[in-house]
Amino acid sequence: MSDKMSLKQKIELLDDKIEWFYSDEFDLAKAEEKYKESTELAKEIEKDLSELKNKIEVLAEDFSK
Amino acid sequence: MQSEIKLTPTEFLAVTNQNLEYAFSGVTLEGEVVSFKINQGKWVFFDVKDAGSSVSCFMTLFQLRMPLKDGMKVTVRGVPKVTKWGKFSFTVTAVMPVGEGSLKKSYELLKKKLTNEGLFNVERKRPLPGDLTRLGVVSSVDAAGYADFVKILNARWGGIDVQVAHTQVQGMDAPDQIIRALKYFNERSEVQVIAILRGGGSADDLACFNDEELVRTIAASKIPIITGIGHEVDESLADLAADVRASTPSNAAEMLTPDKRSIKITVNDSVLRVKNVVLNKIESASREKVEKMNQLSRDIKGRIDNYASGLEQKLKILEALNPEGILKQGYAILTGKIFPGDVVKITTYKQEIKAEIKEVYER
Repeated sequence: MSDKMSLKQKIELLDDKIEWFYSDEFDLAKAEEKYKESTELAKEIEKDLSELKNKIEVLAEDFSK
Repeated sequence: MQSEIKLTPTEFLAVTNQNLEYAFSGVTLEGEVVSFKINQGKWVFFDVKDAGSSVSCFMTLFQLRMPLKDGMKVTVRGVPKVTKWGKFSFTVTAVMPVGEGSLKKSYELLKKKLTNEGLFNVERKRPLPGDLTRLGVVSSVDAAGYADFVKILNARWGGIDVQVAHTQVQGMDAPDQIIRALKYFNERSEVQVIAILRGGGSADDLACFNDEELVRTIAASKIPIITGIGHEVDESLADLAADVRASTPSNAAEMLTPDKRSIKITVNDSVLRVKNVVLNKIESASREKVEKMNQLSRDIKGRIDNYASGLEQKLKILEALNPEGILKQGYAILTGKIFPGDVVKITTYKQEIKAEIKEVYER
């Protein structure tokens, strides 16, 4: 589900999932499943962060003229 | 014998100027400014002198990019020329103050002028985008400051397309090159922010960032600009005109990007904290259940106790009403007709007695 999401979206989704645990909607019966989802998403975010690379291009333009 | 050359004054001056330009192309003079004046709001005249000599200089006001005053030490680049009136003049293409005192004076004059115009007003400042994916950099790729910036940027974050405009970042040519780079990015509107970077250096090295046209170009940029020039203590007019000022190139990288290492820690911490939250909630729910059970048990015991206590009372009443008890207290039960001569039965606690009625009368 989170494959097509940007890193920012994934972090926002994780925030939402974490918030559920602190909210009134918390349900012990669903907690295990939600915790598992959160852990997997956190691992995905960590992997995405490790793979992030910048692309640096020095322009061919000559600014001395 | 050398043949005599006959020339008109115009031809002579043309040849002379051609030779001067050939011999002194790109010559730079360094000396003190005297007799500085601006004519008709367009033409600038001054002399550059040292202890022994003085050279008359001429330039347009448009080319004057930093304020000059008599007594300032300057570097002047230009071409020597003899005017059509036969007067020698140095036609200036660029001029920059040199030395701490002159630079400071020029800086203060221009700062005052541009401050009055509102170029440095806080209301003009725009925030940096939170989600940076396209960045323009104006710097010299050979400079240490640029290398520091790239190192910190790569360590902190990724996924950014960085376009680098390689320019000089010191000297007389630097302002125009930086201006061209800023215009390049502004014309294309491909980047979200432009970072102007240069590592530390002397006041002379950093003087190009006090160039009036450069400062105006920064202030007019459609794209937000962050500067990371010199060190914390170096404040240029470019810094004042920029939307955000970073103290160094490394600091600019820090201000532009979040730190992926701290995000990793935050993400892992938040998941770990959730684990504790769940455990606490389980513990709390279990405590609640135990408490409910205890309460129920206390309620049942209370009801049993009440029932038992009621029963005991009833037993006591029954006990009190038991005829045997009454007999035990010494009373007797008389059964049969009570007319004189009748035989009645008298029951006591221990005996049964038959007796004859002798007499009956009212009490």
